[in-house]
Order: sequence, then structure tokens, then C-alpha cells
Amino acid sequence: MNRNYYILTAIMLILAIGTVFIHERKYTSELPASELLWDILQPSRFVTTDQVAKRIIEKDPSLLLIDVRPASEYNKFSLPNAVNVPFDSIETATGQQYFGNPGTKVVLFGDDGILANRVWILLRRLDLKNNYVMRGGLNEWIETIIQPKRPKQTDPEISFEQYNFRRAARLYFTGAKVVTGNMKKEKVVFKKRKRAAVAAGGC
Amino acid sequence: MNVHELNPKKTLGVLIVLVIVVIIGFLTMKPSRYDYKLNVNQSIQLLKDTSEINFYPYELVDVLNHKNKNVVLIDLRNKYAFGRGHIPGALSIPSFDLTHKKNLRLLKDYKKNGLTVVLYSNNQLSADGPWFFFRQIGFNNVRVLLGGYNYFLKHKNNLAATRSDNSYIKGIERFNYAKVSKSSDKSFELNQNNKPKPVIFKRRKREAVAAGGC
Repeated sequence: MNRNYYILTAIMLILAIGTVFIHERKYTSELPASELLWDILQPSRFVTTDQVAKRIIEKDPSLLLIDVRPASEYNKFSLPNAVNVPFDSIETATGQQYFGNPGTKVVLFGDDGILANRVWILLRRLDLKNNYVMRGGLNEWIETIIQPKRPKQTDPEISFEQYNFRRAARLYFTGAKVVTGNMKKEKVVFKKRKRAAVAAGGC
Repeated sequence: MNVHELNPKKTLGVLIVLVIVVIIGFLTMKPSRYDYKLNVNQSIQLLKDTSEINFYPYELVDVLNHKNKNVVLIDLRNKYAFGRGHIPGALSIPSFDLTHKKNLRLLKDYKKNGLTVVLYSNNQLSADGPWFFFRQIGFNNVRVLLGGYNYFLKHKNNLAATRSDNSYIKGIERFNYAKVSKSSDKSFELNQNNKPKPVIFKRRKREAVAAGGC
């Protein structure tokens, strides 16, 4: 009867020794390399400048803009309410607090979208989701939102609608200059009409 | 009395089969074909030195003249786009097939032989992701063609002259953002030349009331 238990013990020992020879595999929170390339090839992370502008104007509370350029350039100009996380500090504690929070959509932007795209890849590797890249970066932002070009007469109606939106967005982001001129109070003169004699004629 | 002890031979048989299955599972478990060789911090450091990662369009001149034989061009666009036109001598590997066993082995051979692999696609952005991926899994001979195929097609005949052109270089400011974003453009002013005018009421003259009669 005890023989079974000896055999069982022997099997367990063999299995335990066997685990020594298993390939070492790292178990980290990182995304497996085989999945990363697949995610890189999906274009769903790119958002247009129009979409970003619309979200800013609507004051979307879930939107978090992140400027990946160095701090010196961020201090000169950035998008409204954007936070500066230079690309070399995304792994530090100050950088990490902005990413992967549930309920926020992080939009990364730089000068051209190349650097922001690389930062996105690193964040995806760290298995952080809900990150987006503004296509074209700030150069495209200036070209489309701040200096929109009037579409040609032959363009479809949708590009005119887009143009109108961009013009309105431009006023929102640059502040419209309103010319008021010399406003003086003018007296409003009422002239009393002379009344004709009552019932001059009549039956 | 335990259930096992009723039929010890049967229990033993089942146990042995189970153990064999587990052992076979462990033995056939292969390590994945590629894994990260650079950690995240090393990858960030890599981005700071751009001289190692960029392949400029004017460097193509030597490649096309067969002067520089250490470069392999790889076209990441789909087969259809490749068939319509590509950089002479380029190899077509659509980006979704990059990690196939065959292609990975090819890239490993290139690395072993000290060849530089230049990835290109329609623009820099679509080749940039695969480039960064390959750097992270340890292919340090991979570079990306600036400007991509679209730029090459435009400047096919004067590639050497693109040395002085910077329109394909990314990551630089094309505008003075702060200056451009100020409101100084008069074309968008509201209320142009509208001087307020005094309000004048004009009453039309009435004819004398009941001047005539019935």
C-alpha cells in the first residue's frame, strides 16, 4: 500500500529536478515583443489636429495633452493646458503619474509626430494603454488650425466645413482682435412732429 | 479505505500518463524567437543620438551606384505598391511579415555579415515604428530612410542635391510657434471699419389729419 506513495514521491522529485532545466523566462509587466510590432502597425493611435482642437474647445475633462519636447521648447510655446514630459523622463516617477490612468486619454505631441510616435511605442511596451499621437505635431497644428488655407472652389463641401471650423478654432486659440472704434454716446434726438389742428376738416 | 487503494494499478497508470504529458509540454516549450535586448532606458538613450539612426536620401547615391555595397534596402510597403515602383535593388518585405521566421533569419544573416539594413516606407513615420522595434530587439544595424519613398520619387534625378535640402528632416520647428499664434493677423478682425453712427429716427410726414373728408 505504501508503494504508491513512494512512486508518487519519486515522480514529484523528478518533476522538481526537471524545472531546473527549463528555459529562463522573464515575467515582467512589459508587453511581449511579439505583440509590440503588431500594435505598432495599427494606425488607430493617430488623431488629427482637428480632433484635438475640438476636444480642447469642448473642454473635454478626460483629455490630457502631453508635450514630449524638451522643457526649454515647452516654455516658449505649447498647446493650452499641455503638460511637459520630455521624452527622456517618461520612465521617471514624475512622468509615470500621467500615463495609464483610467478615464484619461493621453494625446502625445512633439514637433512632427515622429518623436511622439516613438514615445508611444515605449509606453505601449510598458503596457500602458489609452495613449494617442497627434499626427503631424505642432507644425501641422500651425498649418491647419492657426493658418488654415482656404479650400479651392472645386473642393467638396466637407473641406469648406472643415475650413470654417478651423477659422473658428483659430479665433479660439489666438484670441480675436475686436476693433471697437471711438464709441461716443450720441444723443438721440426726437423731433416732435407738429400736430395738425385737430379736426381741421371733418364732416 | 481510500478510493485509490481499491484499484492501485489503474491509479498508477493515469498518474504516469499525466506526468508524461507534463514532461512533453516542458520539453517542447521553446523560447520566443526574439525578445527585447534593450531595456526602456537604453532605448531612450538611443533616441538622443540621431546620427546612428538616420539614413539620408543623399546617401542613396552611393548605394545606387554600387559604390557602397554594405547597405540592404528593405521596402516595407505592400507587394502591390512595391510592384508599381520601388528604389532599385530594394527587397520587398511588407511590414506585417517582418517577424516571419524566414525574414527574421535573413535579417540575422545581414547583421552577422555586417550589412546595414535601411527600412523605408511611403514616409518616414510608417517606417519609424518597425525601425524602433528592431532596434529594441537587438538589431543594431537597422536604420530608417528619411523622407521615405515619396521624397525619393520626387528627387530621384538629383539625389546628391538634397544634401542642402532640409524639408525632409523631422523634429525641427518650421514656424516660430509663439509668434505665429499671436493674434496679429488683420484678416480675421471682427467689426472692420464700422464706426458707430448716431441713430436718427426719421418720421415720415403725415398728411394733415383728415384733410379731406367724406
